[in-house]
Amino acid sequence: MLTVQGLTRCFGQVRAVDGISFEVRDGEIFGLLGPNGAGKTTTISMISGVLAPDAGQVLVDGVDIWERPKQVKRMLGVVPQEVAVYEDLTGRDNLVFWASLYGLKGADRRRAIDEALERVGLADRADDRVRDYSGGMKRRLNLSMGLIHAPKFLLLDEPTVGIDPQARLAILDVVREVARGGTTVLYTTHYMDEAEKLCDRMAIIDRGEILASGTLDELTRLAGEGDVLRVSGSFGAEDLRGKIAGIDGVEISRIGDGFALLSVVPEGPGLAQLLPRLLDGEAGIDDVSIQRSNLESVFIALTGRALRD
Amino acid sequence: MRAMLAIIRRDLMRWRRNPGRLALLLALPLVLAGVFALAFGSGGSGLSVRVLVLDEDDTPLSNLLAGALGSQEDTGPLDVEIVGDEGRAMIENGEASALVVIPEGFTDAFLAGRPAALRLLKNPSQRFLPQAVEEALRAGAVVLSQASRTLRDELDQFHEMLQADAKPDPLVIGAMSTRIAEKLETVADYVFPPVIELEVASAGDGESADDGPTMQAVLALMLPGLAVLSLLFFAQSATRDVMEERDRGLTRHLLTAPVSVGEYLLAKCVAVVIVSALGFGLLIALGVLAGIDWGPPVAVLALLLAAATAASGLLLLLVSLTGSEMSANALTTIVVMVSAMVGGSFVPLPVLPAFLLPVSRLTVNYWATHGFLTLIRDGGGLADVTTEIAVLSTAGLAMLALGAWRLARRIRRGDV
Ligand SMILES: Nc1ncnc2c1ncn2[C@@H]1O[C@H](COP(=O)(O)OP(=O)(O)OP(=O)(O)O)[C@@H](O)[C@H]1O
Ligand SMILES: [Mg+2]
Repeated sequence: MLTVQGLTRCFGQVRAVDGISFEVRDGEIFGLLGPNGAGKTTTISMISGVLAPDAGQVLVDGVDIWERPKQVKRMLGVVPQEVAVYEDLTGRDNLVFWASLYGLKGADRRRAIDEALERVGLADRADDRVRDYSGGMKRRLNLSMGLIHAPKFLLLDEPTVGIDPQARLAILDVVREVARGGTTVLYTTHYMDEAEKLCDRMAIIDRGEILASGTLDELTRLAGEGDVLRVSGSFGAEDLRGKIAGIDGVEISRIGDGFALLSVVPEGPGLAQLLPRLLDGEAGIDDVSIQRSNLESVFIALTGRALRD
Repeated sequence: MRAMLAIIRRDLMRWRRNPGRLALLLALPLVLAGVFALAFGSGGSGLSVRVLVLDEDDTPLSNLLAGALGSQEDTGPLDVEIVGDEGRAMIENGEASALVVIPEGFTDAFLAGRPAALRLLKNPSQRFLPQAVEEALRAGAVVLSQASRTLRDELDQFHEMLQADAKPDPLVIGAMSTRIAEKLETVADYVFPPVIELEVASAGDGESADDGPTMQAVLALMLPGLAVLSLLFFAQSATRDVMEERDRGLTRHLLTAPVSVGEYLLAKCVAVVIVSALGFGLLIALGVLAGIDWGPPVAVLALLLAAATAASGLLLLLVSLTGSEMSANALTTIVVMVSAMVGGSFVPLPVLPAFLLPVSRLTVNYWATHGFLTLIRDGGGLADVTTEIAVLSTAGLAMLALGAWRLARRIRRGDV
């Protein structure tokens, strides 16, 4: 089990990570979902023993990484956000080097390297220089380095950034397969669809703080139990309030420029009464759409901002 | 220990996979040695390096620059000629080794602090000579950029004056020159020795008063200094990796493996010393092939290791003072070139003017070159170079330790 307690790190005035706590249970894929600058990389750096926290603790199977760094680091595989491979060496050279750092040698090392290459689909390009790899291939090599010593915990920092959808799926497949083999995975991303599809549980992080955590179901319930109605057009706030006045179970959860979000209690009478009123053409409402709540709406509900900007 | 060996092995592997980098570092001093041998030796063949300068910018400053490049009266095998547009055709016909173009707008860009580029056209049919010209220009460019940074305000003012097209106000010029002089004084300690020294260098061929030494004697005189310069280039190239690894996130990644900061830095130090010593050793071997007797092997080896340690220490310390690969490049190039100039790599120590000696003794070049000259020219043995070995290895280890300590502190603070 990986336990993070009250982890904090500042860079000058910026509180990059501000007292976050969470737990990654054995065998699960745990997601850390947050926009650019949320503090994901800083968190991973502190968990992997590269960046000293200002406060807080990281326990890996009960051992503090900052107290016994080598012992803990042997249990971790880390795949950094920026591809960290030597371009003038071949893929295999890179893996030989990386495996030696963990004390692998001889036949064991060869086997581990071949397996890792096979796993990420680079076996036939292993002896080419990394300089000649495509971006997706470099990412896969980067991933294979994190797997080479069969770590108990795998920490992945946005491993699919900047590659095409197909290569992305390939990487997600590898992660799933590794997890099925019993490895515990901590996966950071700013793609909510990845978090939705891949992770057993997740935490939403923004501006260095964890806003919520739990399973996908638990989180989506936070955005409100019901459906979300998105209304767009050139209406005024007062018009909209007038339209929903007197209907039970309907609330305005947010009004923006040219749009509004309404939450509607499910299975109540609200929706049936509401739709005709909204669409009678009097208030300047052009369009109404119904959304099931998802991580995006959870994020908006928690922060008032969209995840992607 | 295991991790350290892995890091050292990887660093050496990177050199093996990049033979071009190795060849260039080896070729550079040899080309320089060849040029000097031809310049000062009596066995001069018809070989000469012909460099053309084309001034497309045609402003007072670019005229000055072109003039400076082309002014030397008697530069031995180096033949610089200021040309017009016909220069391009000449280089294409292979009539010269290289064409330096001062492009239109160069002065404007330089004075305004925008990136200003000198263009170099190399004769494609020649390999080494154009490379030598390129290296020399690159060093010059670093100095010019430094000037542009140090004198930013003054250059702006000067620029305005040039553009205004009016008569320059003598008062403004007066005030400006005072400020420039003040600024130069603060950097004079670093900048002026090479400038002064450059002039001495062309006058330094006083030895040719007799019939002229043989090519071999000139090589024996020049090669140690140039080999030491090359040693510094090797150390520079190897330490540059430390910054590159940091800038590209490789260090951060490495430290997620079971490797401590201390182990990482110690491994880097050892790798830099090994690379420098191997490169230096190769040059010594080439010297042997060229018929130079370096002296007793034990003394040569001890001096070689001491010099490699000192060069590595100097470069690691310099790198630890900078914030990125770019600034590391600029600082190390300046220091390496300056210490080559005052330390006996370009002007042989025996003809170096006495007033430079105190400065000279602060350089790795001086101590290493002095040691090798003692072995080669004076037929000395191990006992005659113990001072050099002691100075180089003590200073080298101290600088390595200080540089590594600074880098470690930075990494621990989170600057990786
Ligand atoms: N070395 C550093 N020096 C100064 N500020 C930093 C440093 N590293 C991170 N920060 C700041 O800390 C905050 C969190 O950065 P971090 O890289 O952890 O975010 P992230 O969630 O990984 O973002 P991204 O999705 O863009 O990778 C940002 O405001 C960033 O500017
Ligand atoms: Mg990040």
